[in-house]
Order: sequence, then structure tokens, then C-alpha cells
Amino acid sequence: MPLIKNGCVVDNEWTFIDDSTDPDGTGLVTVSLPRYLQDVTRERTRNVTLGVRLTPSDDPDLLLPHLDHLPLIEIEFPKYTDGRGYSLAQILRRRHGYTGELRAVGHVLRDQILYMNRSGFDAFETARADLSQVLEALSEHSAYYQPAADGHPTVFARRHLRPD
Amino acid sequence: MYRYDEFDAAIVRERVDQFRGQVSRRLDGTLLEDEFKPLRLQNGVYLQLHAYMLRVAIPYGQLDPAKLRRLADIAERYDRGYGHFTTRQNIQFNWVGLKDIPDVLQSLSEVEMHAIQTSGNCIRNVTSDHFAGAAQDEVMDPRPWCEIIRQWSTFHPEFAFLPRKFKIAVTAAEDDRAAIRVHDIGLHIRRRDGQIGFEVHVGGGQGRTPVIATKLNDFVPETELLDYLEAIMRVYNRFGRRDNKYKARIKILVTETGADEFRRLVDTEYAAKTDAEKIALPQAEIDRIHAYFAPPDLTRKPARSQILETAQAANPAFQRWIRVNLHPHKQAGYASITISLKPIGGLAGDATTAQMRVVAKLAEEYGHDDIRVTHAQNLVLPHVALDDLPALYADLDGAGLATANEGLVTDMIVCPGLDYCNLANARSIPVGQDIQQTFADPDYQEDIGRLHINISGCINACGHHHVGHIGILGVDRKGEEFYQISLGGRADHHAAIGDIAGRALSREEVPDAIKRIIDTYRDLRTSAAEPFIETLNRLGHTPFKEAIYAAD
Amino acid sequence: MTSVRPKLKPETPKAITAWDTASGQTVWLSADGQWTSDMTRLGVFTGRAAEDRLNEARAQEHLVTDPYFMEVTAAGTIAGRETLRETIRAQGPTVPYGEVPR
Repeated sequence: MPLIKNGCVVDNEWTFIDDSTDPDGTGLVTVSLPRYLQDVTRERTRNVTLGVRLTPSDDPDLLLPHLDHLPLIEIEFPKYTDGRGYSLAQILRRRHGYTGELRAVGHVLRDQILYMNRSGFDAFETARADLSQVLEALSEHSAYYQPAADGHPTVFARRHLRPD
Repeated sequence: MYRYDEFDAAIVRERVDQFRGQVSRRLDGTLLEDEFKPLRLQNGVYLQLHAYMLRVAIPYGQLDPAKLRRLADIAERYDRGYGHFTTRQNIQFNWVGLKDIPDVLQSLSEVEMHAIQTSGNCIRNVTSDHFAGAAQDEVMDPRPWCEIIRQWSTFHPEFAFLPRKFKIAVTAAEDDRAAIRVHDIGLHIRRRDGQIGFEVHVGGGQGRTPVIATKLNDFVPETELLDYLEAIMRVYNRFGRRDNKYKARIKILVTETGADEFRRLVDTEYAAKTDAEKIALPQAEIDRIHAYFAPPDLTRKPARSQILETAQAANPAFQRWIRVNLHPHKQAGYASITISLKPIGGLAGDATTAQMRVVAKLAEEYGHDDIRVTHAQNLVLPHVALDDLPALYADLDGAGLATANEGLVTDMIVCPGLDYCNLANARSIPVGQDIQQTFADPDYQEDIGRLHINISGCINACGHHHVGHIGILGVDRKGEEFYQISLGGRADHHAAIGDIAGRALSREEVPDAIKRIIDTYRDLRTSAAEPFIETLNRLGHTPFKEAIYAAD
Repeated sequence: MTSVRPKLKPETPKAITAWDTASGQTVWLSADGQWTSDMTRLGVFTGRAAEDRLNEARAQEHLVTDPYFMEVTAAGTIAGRETLRETIRAQGPTVPYGEVPR
């Protein structure tokens, strides 16, 4: 499935390992939150770099002690109409200051990507949009009322920055 | 009223282009209907029984002549010469083709209008008191805060895929004309020690599980409002149920979590918000938006108008219209007047292109360019000089817009029902028309006094039947229409959910049953000054239930 | 949240109806596989052939939206418990609209 990150198509070097499978000991893998919290302390004893895949009901606060060295957080969208992932992303980026890769995985469609990007996602794994469509989606708006994780100044603020 | 600046204009223009692209991808097969549906809904496009329906946003029910004329033009060019005003102060067009909708949106954007978030599982059009800015009993004009909420909620990236739809209503008056206690969030503006703040109610709603809202907070200072709303929204977005759409509204989360625990969750989320996350609305911005809602320049006039009194004496029909459809204004010599869209035998809330143009012209001539839509599906001119009322009435009467029934038994809220709606189980409009015919005599109506009959064609309750003094719900029994009567609902500051009276009636039985309820009230009231709802509350429902089934 | 559509037995005569995606108009599938807004031209299907036709219709999303079975008589007139709904879909609202009552 194509992975689009920072406006480019990139190779996906990561593999998600579900809880019933043992990682083979090397490489870049993402695991569920419970497994991550259990394995993270043992990470360095094995040749594995761990990322985490959150489901929409996970509590992102549990990652707080680990955010500084987490290279990747995936947030799963089981169905594109499930909007919980947007809140998780905003919490991780804006409240907890997470700066690593935040990747949307699962049912990711072109017309949700602008909101995802505003909420803090910088990578999108999507079977339903190619690079040009993603770039087009990201350029559909030039002004935003609310502050969000993308750091755009709000319209509320921009109105008062103009030299009069 | 508010005017767009270049940012507002750009956002709406960009939305038109975005939706044009989405429609084109839908029509060429790139977008599947399942993928397109939430997108079209978030732009107010439904697929109804026999056509697409476009719901256009009228934020807090505020119109002006240019906007209303444009709505008339759209009805003429793209629809069938009429529009339907809704219980959330919006307007719906029933026959627009999907391929034309981008052009309709383009046309709307030219008069600072749009259809953004008029449906879908997002924050919907914010509604308010239709007398805002004119009412005697308001602590301030609520519209500036409605506009701020409108902007904040427009394309909010975190809250576009909520568990279910989300409706916010704002009032600043003691007499709640915005039904805030049956909204997901109801805000009551209060003044405390010279400071403005918001009493916050949460978890009200109608639908198949009607709930009166819980008071969440007595006073949220105005500078904290948006951050507080975001805390509620985030708790709902994360924890609201998504396993069953009938249990997905915030009212179910509040009920199942318990009000105290829900409040704790909101308080915790709010307290966790860092300064960097806060919205930090500049005071200059609050002031800028408030400035748009400065009161119109109303010439000082005496409290009584000789012209008005002479005209009343000469024309009993006009006198009645003044008695029934006039609401007192905060400034002497002026009034707010209701233009009823409930003529006897008409379609509740419908207005033809000709009628829209007449109202636009009259708002210019007599109404300081200000027009409102009410949640009871009527129009209001909030600022009219008493001296101008006779001329205004004459023009309205000529357009079939002078029905004197505001708040009376024939001023019913009626959903489109099975005549239009894909969700409906039974028709609503003809039932309402039959009831209107039963009470067509204006003396009879006035004698009955204030009485709200609300009719829904299905359990989704768009016709607000749960909060009608008399509610009527259409149900389907093996392909036949039946109607369930409920008693004792109300949407005001004493909000209550009506109780189902008993077995459902056939359509033919409904008008006479309603008449028996009302004649029972007229027999039992202490005087004509005791409204129906108070007699009902004083005596209990039994005599009225017996009246319904007296023909058995 | 359309009200639940009744399940029809295989042998029950049925038409296939949908909405024209571009216009929103009610359309029916004719016997020769065309979408028509003329109800007198609707095709009557039963059994396996009906299922096949519906599946084909579902694959034409860009042309028609949400096709489904509608109960009809062998002669092709609307029948069954959805008669009122389908009659309104075919003929429009049962009340005059777009005019001012007098």
C-alpha cells in the first residue's frame, strides 16, 4: 500500500506485528500499545526498533514517558468515519509535543487527509489516493479558523496581524 | 449583521471548489457512494425520496434582503419555485440535481452563504433566539457569540467525524426561544458581576431517546468558551458510542456515564489543556465581531403610534394580526413581527420565490434589512416601527403572508414526512393540514390561545413531537399510517418530554381527537388566561387522554 | 437510516428502482436493462434473474445510487407494504406544493 510522507511517496520500512506473533528479532516493527508498553524496556536487548500502533480507543497519555525516543506512532482508522484518531493525534502533537512520525493507517481516504494533516499526521498509508490526489487535498484550503497541530495561525489571529 | 472579510470569503470559495471536485469524482465513478455520502452530507446534500435535497445554512437564522433574494433566485432557477424553512433555522431545496449543486453553492457564496455542516456527524449550524438584538428580556445580543462559534466550528479538523451529529443553540433571554435544553449543547448567556459568561447545558436531544439537557457548568467566562467547548467535544469524540448509531448522540454518553462523571471528564480535559493548545481569541477579535451586531439606527419614537391605532380600529383582521403576531421590542415605538409561514391548508415552513422577494423588499422598506428564520419555521422582521405596520401588513396580506397565528394551534411545527423524506414512516403535512382546517376559525384559535402542536413523520423527531404541548408521531403499521399522540412536552425554559397518551390513531381519527383534547381544555381551564400547558400540568393528563379515546 | 426495506421472496415479482446519480430522479430498470424515469417501462423480475440484475445495477454507482427491489404485481404496478412510499417516489408529494393556498 502506498505510503505518502511529507509530500513524497516513500518506501514503508516498518512492519506491524500483531500480538499473536513474535517479532523475528530484527528490523523496524510497530506493535499494539499494550505490547509496546510491555516490550519497550527490553527493546535494546533485541535488534528491534519499536514503534507503536494505536487503536482509536487507546489512551495516548500512556505513551508520555516514551515519546522522546519513539520514531513512529501509527494511528489506525478502522473505518474512515471513525474520528477518534484525530483527537489522539492532536493530543500527541499539541499536548505532549510528540515530534516523530505520526502515520494514519487503515481506512484512509483522499478527502480525510486534509483534516488528518491539520490534526498532526505527517504520513498516510492509503490505498485510495495517489500522491497527486493527496497533494491536491492538502492544498484545498488557505485559511483556517481553529488552531491545530499543523501550526497554521488562526484566522482569528491573522485578522489582527495585518498592517492597517 | 456579520459581513465576511477576505478570510471568510476565501474559506467559502475554496469549499465550493472542493465540493465541485468531489461531485465530479462521484459522477465519474472515482468516489463510491459510501465514500461520498459523508462528504455530501457535510455539505447539506441528502438523497431524499424522489430527489436530492440541499440544506443551506442560515447561521442563527440571520438573513438579509440580498441573501433572501438569492435564495429565491436559486429556488426559481434550480428548484421548483419554493424553499422550505427548517426547525434549525435553515432552508431546504427539495429538487436540486447533484450536478447543479456546485453552481448553487457558487451562487450562494456570492452573497456570503454556504451549506457547510448542515448535515453529517459534525457540528451543525448554530441556532439562536429569533428575536436576538431586539428582545426586551435578553442580557445581550447572543449573535456575536453564535458567529464566533460558527467560525470556530467550521471545518474543525478534529470534529468532522464525530459519533453522531452535534447541535449547539444559544440564548441570552430568560424566555428560552431557542430550545437550548433539547440540544447537544445549550448555552445560556449570563451576566455576573459585569462579566459575560455561559451557563452550559449538555446532552439534550430528541430523536428516538428524548432527553432534557443536564446543566454542566453555571458560568464559563466568555474568554474561555471555545476552549471549554473543545473539551466537551473531545470527550464526546473519544468516548461517545460508535457501536450503535441510535446510541451515539452525546445525550447517551452523558446518561450512561452519569452527569458527575461526565463533568469530571470535561473538567479534566479542560484542565489538561496547555497554553499552547488554547484558542487565544484576541480581545480585538471578540470586539471586531461584536461590532457587526451593533443595534440598527432606530429613530426615537413615542411608545404609542397614532397611525397604528387608527388602522387597527378600521380593520379587525389587521387588529388581530397585531394582537397575535407582534412581539415587544426593547426600544419604544418598535416591534418585532412574525411572518407566519403556516397559512391554513399550506405547507408549514414553505415559501415561494414570490413570497421570498416580497419579504426581502419589505425588510428593506420597513425592517432595517434584517430578517430572521425561527425554529418554529416562520420568518421574523425584528425591527419595525409601529407606524409602518399598516403598510407592512397590507403588502404581506397581498402575498399570502399575513396569517395571524403565531404561537396558536395552527402554527404547527411539521416535518416534511413521507411526502419528501427518505426516513419517514408516515406523512406529516396532510395531517397538519387536516388539523389546521379543524381550527381554521381565527376566533376559535385565539380563544384556545398558546398551544404548540408538533408533528413528526418518524421517530427521528425532526418535527419536535416530543416537545410539542401536543405531539403527533407518525408510525407505519404494515404499510398503513398511524399517529401516536403525546401530551405535555415543551421546549422552553421549563423543557419537558411529552408522555404518549395511548394507542395510535388512524389519520382520519386525528383531527377530531385533537379537537376533543382542546375542547376538554376549554371546559377545564380556570379562565381564558390559563394556557393549555398549564391546565394540563395542573390537572394531569387523565382527562385529556380520556378525551382522545372518547370516540371508542 | 432508510426505513427497513421488506425482504421479498424469490418468486415475488419485483422491479429494480434507484436514484439517477446526477439528477436524483427516481428511475427503474426496464426489461432491456435501461434506466428509465418512465414507470410504465419498468421490467418485472423474479428469482435468480432478479438477483443478477440487482447486482449488475449495484456495479453502476456512477449512474444510479442505491438500487433495490421494489414489490410489483406481475403486470408491473406497485404492490406490497411499501405501496404508499413507492407511489410517492414515483409520483411526488401527495400535497400541492410551491403555491400559496387561498
